[in-house]
Amino acid sequence: MVHETLAATNAIVVLDVALPSVFWGWIITMNMWAKSVGTGIIFLTFFLLKKYPEQTGFIRFPAVVISIVFIHLFLFFTVIDLHQMFRFWHIFFYPHLTSAITIGAWMATGFVGLLLAMTYAIYMKKDEAMYDKLLGWTTLLAIPVTLYTAGLMAEATARELWQMPTESAQMILAALLAGSATMLLLGGNKFSEAVKKDLALVLGFSAAAAFILYMSEYIFGGMKAEEVAATLAFVKGGEYTAMFWIGQVLAFLIPMALVCLSLKNKSYYLLKIAAVSALVGLWVSKHVWLVIPQLLNMS
Amino acid sequence: MQLGFLVDLHLCMGCKGCEIACKVENEVPLSTWRLRVKYVDVGAFPETKRTFTPLRCNHCANAPCERICPVSALHYLENGIVNIDKERCIGCAGCVMACPYGAIYIDPQTQTADKCTYCAHRIASSMMPSCVVACPVEANIFGDLDDPTSNISKYIQQHQGDVQVRKPEKGTDPHHFYVGGGNVQLNPLASFRGEGHNLFNNLTHIHLGGHH
Repeated sequence: MVHETLAATNAIVVLDVALPSVFWGWIITMNMWAKSVGTGIIFLTFFLLKKYPEQTGFIRFPAVVISIVFIHLFLFFTVIDLHQMFRFWHIFFYPHLTSAITIGAWMATGFVGLLLAMTYAIYMKKDEAMYDKLLGWTTLLAIPVTLYTAGLMAEATARELWQMPTESAQMILAALLAGSATMLLLGGNKFSEAVKKDLALVLGFSAAAAFILYMSEYIFGGMKAEEVAATLAFVKGGEYTAMFWIGQVLAFLIPMALVCLSLKNKSYYLLKIAAVSALVGLWVSKHVWLVIPQLLNMS
Repeated sequence: MQLGFLVDLHLCMGCKGCEIACKVENEVPLSTWRLRVKYVDVGAFPETKRTFTPLRCNHCANAPCERICPVSALHYLENGIVNIDKERCIGCAGCVMACPYGAIYIDPQTQTADKCTYCAHRIASSMMPSCVVACPVEANIFGDLDDPTSNISKYIQQHQGDVQVRKPEKGTDPHHFYVGGGNVQLNPLASFRGEGHNLFNNLTHIHLGGHH
């Protein structure tokens, strides 16, 4: 790798522009985090209504409201991150279809439309059958809405750390993690033991799978590409090391441990702590992964 | 016609004439740049050497910035130039994320993306880009890559074994070439980059009004 020549050449930049600043910061982290909750709760609603239609019918209205709130948070943070936010409408009137941003904006708009239709079905018409039919389409659309950010990160050619296969898996896992955590907090003790156990398992397995992916990148990522090695240095003793591990512990390790304990002790209280820890840790983990590739000097 | 650029790094002496000409011609705001010359020192005293590398947009044939732009603000001209429509740009910074050469910036005055356009407005009037005109040693060679009789095509033919592009592994197909460059000049990971050697300082904003 070329950085190994540094000791021999003693090459040092003595005049240049400043090191790059972070363009996609906490606002984009909020965007991704809110979208994980907004789509994740739809996945879990679909799952619970299919598996436990009698016991979980009460979640229909609160679940769709939560999804609407978080999807609008996602859209809000998307718009306020634009340097020219009042030109947001250009995406719809001058669309460029090779851009994941354009495709994502169109899909998210359709997703909001379906959520509003579901709200109409359950709140105005009190029609559960119509709600459930719409939920199927909404769940299908929630998949690409969740994934498009991975496509956007993949299109960011300069940032070698963000690869589509890993990021798409991470996006789906983040949605399942956030969705199951939110559902656990939403359902309270109204859920039966069987439902709580299923939600705990989704939370625990998505945390475990996401943690394995992060660790795989952490340990092996730098072996294949020098830019990835240089990027990961920011979390291997660099300035984001502590934040990276705080995120991993809160988002994945604590929820995994608490899910195991709660399944053994049948303690819903532990599950609530696991859910809160997962939601907080997910934000931190996503933020670190978003920021570190931007610290690398491109030129 | 596919316009391209070549810089002969054997000739460049780091005078920054191109940088200044670009700033003036395109009214590039302070603390930003479309073209700049990077200085890298190599070796240990007394065996040291200073290298100069002009860096600008590579006008890639497979441009990641054009692909990621959600509103086609970044677009191709027929002559191969990757141009920008600042009235259409929404400032999402997707192009900043996508460009592997760090060649795009957000203009602090217009709050839109901006970059080198090979002085497309001058080319429309059959004039050379301002940086080409300003270079006292004619290290910047500009012309039509499709025309075998153009200066740039001839230069590439004459220096075939020594022509390079930056980050070829990215598959961007740059229309910007270098002759006489090495890793130290063309690969940012091949040199140590610390804080404190900046072209501009951080005194960019003044806080007016309010209590202090």
